[in-house]
Amino acid sequence: MWQYVGRRLVLAIPTLLGASIIVFAMVHLAPGDPIAAVLPVDASKEQVEAIKKAYGFDRPLPVQYFKWLGRVVTGDLGKSIATRRAVILDVRDSLANSLVLAISSSLLAFGAGIALGLLAAFWRGRWLDKLASAVAVVGVSVPHYWAGIILIIIFSVQLNWLPAMGAASDGGIASYLRHMTLPTIALALIPLGVIARVVRSAALDILAQEFVLALRAKGLARRRVLTHVVKNAAPQIITVLGLQFGFQLGGSVLVEAVFSWPGTGYLLNLAIFQRDIPVLQGVILVLATFFVLLNLLVDVLQTLIDPRIARH
Amino acid sequence: MSTIALPNEAEGVVGAPMSYWRTVAWRLSQDRATLVAGSLLLLVVLLTVLAPWISPYDPNSGSVRLRLAPVGSPSHVLGTDEQGRDMLSRLLWGGRMTLLAGLTPVVIAFVLGTMLGVIAGYAGGITNTLVMRTMDIFYAFPAVLLAIAISGALGPGLPNTLISLSIVFIPRVVRVAESATVQVKGLEYLAAARASGAGLWQILRHHLLANVLGPVLVFATTQVSLSIILAAGLSFLGLGVTPPAAEWGLMLNTLRQSIYVNAVVPALPGLAIFVTSMAFNLVSDGLRDAMEIRA
Amino acid sequence: MTRFIGFLALAVLSLALASGAAAEGTLRIGMTAADIPYTGGQTDNGFEGFRFVGYQIYEPLINWDLSRSDKLPSLVPGLAESWDVSKSDPKKWIFKLRKNVKFHDGSAFNADAVLFTFDSIKNKQAPQFDQYGSAQISWRLSALKAVRKVDDYTVEFETPTVSSFVPYQIVYMVIVSPAQWNKVKDWRQFAEQPSGTGPFKLARFVPRERLELDANKAYWDPKRTPKVDKIVLLPMPEPTTRLAALRSGQVDWIEVPPPDSIAQLKGAGFQIVTNKYPHNWGHILRLDKEPWNNKAVRKAANYAIDRVGICKNLLNDTCVPGTGVVYKGHPWFGNPRETYEYNPAKAKELLKQAGFDGVSKRPAKAVALISTSGSGQMLPLAMNELVQKNLKDVGIDVDLQPIEWNSLTQRFRIGFTGENAGVNALNISFNFLEPFSAFGRFFHSKSVPPMSVNIMPFVNPESDKLLDEAERTFDPGKQDAILAKLHELVVDEAPWIFVVHDLNPRAMSTKVKGFVPPQSWFVDLTQVSVTK
Repeated sequence: MWQYVGRRLVLAIPTLLGASIIVFAMVHLAPGDPIAAVLPVDASKEQVEAIKKAYGFDRPLPVQYFKWLGRVVTGDLGKSIATRRAVILDVRDSLANSLVLAISSSLLAFGAGIALGLLAAFWRGRWLDKLASAVAVVGVSVPHYWAGIILIIIFSVQLNWLPAMGAASDGGIASYLRHMTLPTIALALIPLGVIARVVRSAALDILAQEFVLALRAKGLARRRVLTHVVKNAAPQIITVLGLQFGFQLGGSVLVEAVFSWPGTGYLLNLAIFQRDIPVLQGVILVLATFFVLLNLLVDVLQTLIDPRIARH
Repeated sequence: MSTIALPNEAEGVVGAPMSYWRTVAWRLSQDRATLVAGSLLLLVVLLTVLAPWISPYDPNSGSVRLRLAPVGSPSHVLGTDEQGRDMLSRLLWGGRMTLLAGLTPVVIAFVLGTMLGVIAGYAGGITNTLVMRTMDIFYAFPAVLLAIAISGALGPGLPNTLISLSIVFIPRVVRVAESATVQVKGLEYLAAARASGAGLWQILRHHLLANVLGPVLVFATTQVSLSIILAAGLSFLGLGVTPPAAEWGLMLNTLRQSIYVNAVVPALPGLAIFVTSMAFNLVSDGLRDAMEIRA
Repeated sequence: MTRFIGFLALAVLSLALASGAAAEGTLRIGMTAADIPYTGGQTDNGFEGFRFVGYQIYEPLINWDLSRSDKLPSLVPGLAESWDVSKSDPKKWIFKLRKNVKFHDGSAFNADAVLFTFDSIKNKQAPQFDQYGSAQISWRLSALKAVRKVDDYTVEFETPTVSSFVPYQIVYMVIVSPAQWNKVKDWRQFAEQPSGTGPFKLARFVPRERLELDANKAYWDPKRTPKVDKIVLLPMPEPTTRLAALRSGQVDWIEVPPPDSIAQLKGAGFQIVTNKYPHNWGHILRLDKEPWNNKAVRKAANYAIDRVGICKNLLNDTCVPGTGVVYKGHPWFGNPRETYEYNPAKAKELLKQAGFDGVSKRPAKAVALISTSGSGQMLPLAMNELVQKNLKDVGIDVDLQPIEWNSLTQRFRIGFTGENAGVNALNISFNFLEPFSAFGRFFHSKSVPPMSVNIMPFVNPESDKLLDEAERTFDPGKQDAILAKLHELVVDEAPWIFVVHDLNPRAMSTKVKGFVPPQSWFVDLTQVSVTK
């Protein structure tokens, strides 16, 4: 098994390298001058060129790429054009906020999703199944940014119970939690739906197996059956959980835009419009690395639980 | 008409097994939920396609004096937007853009992805490694992030949106297609068919494609809802369709500023996205149940 | 189980009760800027940077008097007690500096600080040269060639030509502390622990999130020592976000509330504060190509716009009609012949005279580049669609091309060439704080790119003559009269489509007291207090 892990780790390197090329290419293909965004309209051409030179934007692209890559490997993601701070600091702060949102939203989605999925499977065909399945399909279909807006309309505008934006990092834990509530719910909806459906489907498969039917016919306690189902469905469920956590971390852009939650998505949005190339490159690369490692973790966990799974 | 081995025989039929696709069609006809969703979907598509003929007003003209009229206003049954344009007309025309932006990338991904996936799966060896590892690189990015990054680089506009979303979906389709191809490749009857002298093209057409197309088709339909949400989401962020065009995601964005004045009208475009997306999901569920695909 | 429920209930209850209550005497402001403006001295984010950072933490030698609403701010002594052009050489200006002023770090303000700051902007060889800050501001200081120390409290500025505009430019250069800079020798670090002489000092800085300023109780002017203890600045580029933040009590003051919300804000008891200020929103026209190369067509366009409709219906009275570069009542307005009231019939008549009757001859067609948002741009999409409609109604077909704000400023820089070859107009808002910003950069023949931004290009010998004369006239009253004559000429030539002047709407809770909205892009926050 360790051979498998080792092999996957080694394979991750060219993947990351490829990802870095794509990140670099995407960002530099963008039309528009990165420096012009932060300078006033009347700044002289000479000054624009001088600042460009200071950031190395006047060199040919491949040269820029290798210089960037060289620095990245040592942990230096460059300096933001807009704030002139080290990108790694911006990324670290925003990643922390996104992780908080992703984790809390995942807890909600996983808990509720698994519960709904199991309920639906065990009471298949009855109204509980229909209800749970309906909730799941709604969750999967709803555009989460729209859900966020609806939540704001109901809970913030009309009822004024919860705040509509920001993270209020100054107001203490209670305030932070209040600000986190609506974005967490909005972000959890799609994963909740996906997880519920996968769990239901996996559980049904297992319950349909002959020997399980036989066991239930013999009167085996429901709890024992449940344990059996969970253990056997675990590999599939874990894959989905991993994927959905990835979705919540990387896909939080839209929710963060609606709630102005200062995470990586918000930073990305800002950087796109400010054409802040170092920040764009840094954020996307860090997120991509995260996912490659996350996928690796999920694969390893799967093999641990069921060694038959090791892929070709 | 070639027959393909099925796990079970069609229920309720005695005698010779029905052809595959006819079985699928029969199963679909028994699934009420899918039928309802399918009809809804058809209705949505029909309404948006017919927009030029049935929309009461020009979606781009409006009188600023009538801004943000509420739902149920005398001459504007769904109200007006922040520029005084009729919401019903904007929703109808906007649907065409949203559906176009949502469906096209999936269709492109379906065609290109299946081709790539089958080639990689059938060829094996270095070709397979090359293709699959390249796909892995794109797969490393979550869909939303990749879409936004590419769109951010290319700039706003419908063509760029189509390109960026296609790039997002192709790797996923390739994975499913390759996996299905590899599975089928190993089936015994395939080896038997080759041993009996069947040509490569025949094998491909009768056995490979039929068993691969099924899962890929189902997978593609599950991605439509995501594609629609992403396309609208890109416009929502200002990276997709540009104003003053009508498109559900863009409308959601421009109306967002008005939620304090009138909470219902700004919610309508999102509702449209939601209903369409749900209809697609239910249909794809039904399709998967009918085709008994596990993927 | 009951324990668990009890714990849950307690948690929910505590969440509900806890809220981000503000300390007494703290003013929390939601800005339209997308990020905290640069705190290292010569700030960015345009005038919003000056408004909330540049002029709060730092000061220039000459200040604007922002204490009155009823007239334009005048220039008053700041870090300089007095200034005058030298009697013997009109290209030299003597500034007598204020004594007994300390920077926030405790070091003394004197002539060395002025020279140090000047070099940081203008002298590329100086170790303290701030590349970023210099790019933000040095183009505004074109009349300042060099500075010389006469003694510890006297400096002498040298200008390349005789220019009465010097005080107007000095007001943009804020003075930084050399002692503090020399401790860190790096502008980014200086930006995190800045030191100026202003009424507020930096207390806490979270990049992209918030800036906290403490009152400088040791400020040199006892009349302007801040009443409020603390100011918190939060970037909120989204209008709905700002609105939500104000209504939920997260902030006390927001810039530019969405015009639609003004009625209900008033209803909910918030104060809405507006005033005229030197802001102009319109279209800059390309004068060397059809259709705008014809003066009659330009005048026709100006008569076709329903400005009152825009201000009343779209912007809820947060703007006033603009029929010139400056607004009526401004000392530079003069008495233009053309009044550009809404007169579509007159517009059609003018067009017919020019040969564009839209029936037999081709209709007048043009392409206009607009932005989707941006500082000072107000509601660009909605407003431009109205303008487009007005023009279409008289027979001028304008095709709008919306692009992103940063792209627009960049394309504005290159003028009507290259990428903009097919473009006939640009919609960008401007300020007219002083003669160069108002007229010099647009209407003088020497201001064509790359010197400045006369991209139209507007080349008129009479205009050049008036501008040169104004720059040589040191008496403010006479200078105003010359500029008024220039304004009359510009209005008559109609090189722009004049549309509106913004009224700088702000919304604040009733707890905010003592704020006087000046006729300016800047504000004085020292007289404001926040009651409990």
